[in-house]
Amino acid sequence: MLSPDAFLFVAVVIFAIGLIGLMLRRSLFVVYLSIELMLSSVNLILATFSRVHGEMGGGVVSLLMIAVIAAEAAIFLALIIYIYRITKSVDSQSITQLTHKRDEA
Amino acid sequence: MESIIFFVLAFFLLSGAIMIVFCKESIYSAIGFLMVMVAMAGMFALLHHSFLFLAQILVGVGAVVVLSIMIILSINLKDENQPQQNIMPSKIALTTLMVAPIVGLLLYAVIKADFTFAPIAPNFGTIEAMGKELFTHWVLPFEIVSILLLGAMVGAIVLSHRRLDVKS
Repeated sequence: MLSPDAFLFVAVVIFAIGLIGLMLRRSLFVVYLSIELMLSSVNLILATFSRVHGEMGGGVVSLLMIAVIAAEAAIFLALIIYIYRITKSVDSQSITQLTHKRDEA
Repeated sequence: MESIIFFVLAFFLLSGAIMIVFCKESIYSAIGFLMVMVAMAGMFALLHHSFLFLAQILVGVGAVVVLSIMIILSINLKDENQPQQNIMPSKIALTTLMVAPIVGLLLYAVIKADFTFAPIAPNFGTIEAMGKELFTHWVLPFEIVSILLLGAMVGAIVLSHRRLDVKS
């Protein structure tokens, strides 16, 4: 028989890998996929606790989270295309429009 | 039998997550993301959430992953447009060190508290039970999510509209 600890353990490890990816990589796609990874791991935790308590509430929140993940995907991918059109790159360090520009005299 | 399925799913979940973070090409990261989403749906099925399993396959795999792969393929990145970044072991060690305290705390909490699965009703996780719960206790969050989706739709259209390009 499986214990809830196994599911929670997997979810924590997935969250950790997502956090590492968010800090380690500069490609906007990998940043986006890492954020999705962390959201999915939280989703798994919600479903696990819904099963632990035998109530449907956590499952319903998890369902709403899936909708939030879809909305986030639409916005983030539109943003990536927008940034790519301006800077011709998907490097997160190429977004320098808001930085202070030094005098290039 | 259940634990064998669990370990296979966990293997796919972890290897997909590692593929996302450590593959150089974006498309391999997207394939890893596909593995993660499918394995996550399997996890929901193991937890008797049959409707969540369905929603994850339909929305997570059918919409989000396909959209990501389509965007990655349509941008068609050349090598000079990629971030010139080598994944150095020292950087991996540094980020792991930064993440370790949070993860250690979470794992400690998981190990310290021993949860057990409660006995569940026979209709647990079905569409019927989910719909009843959703429309009796969670109506307001449901409506807020619908407004969020509308806002996200408008935002995505505005952002990807061509005339908004900044003149550089």
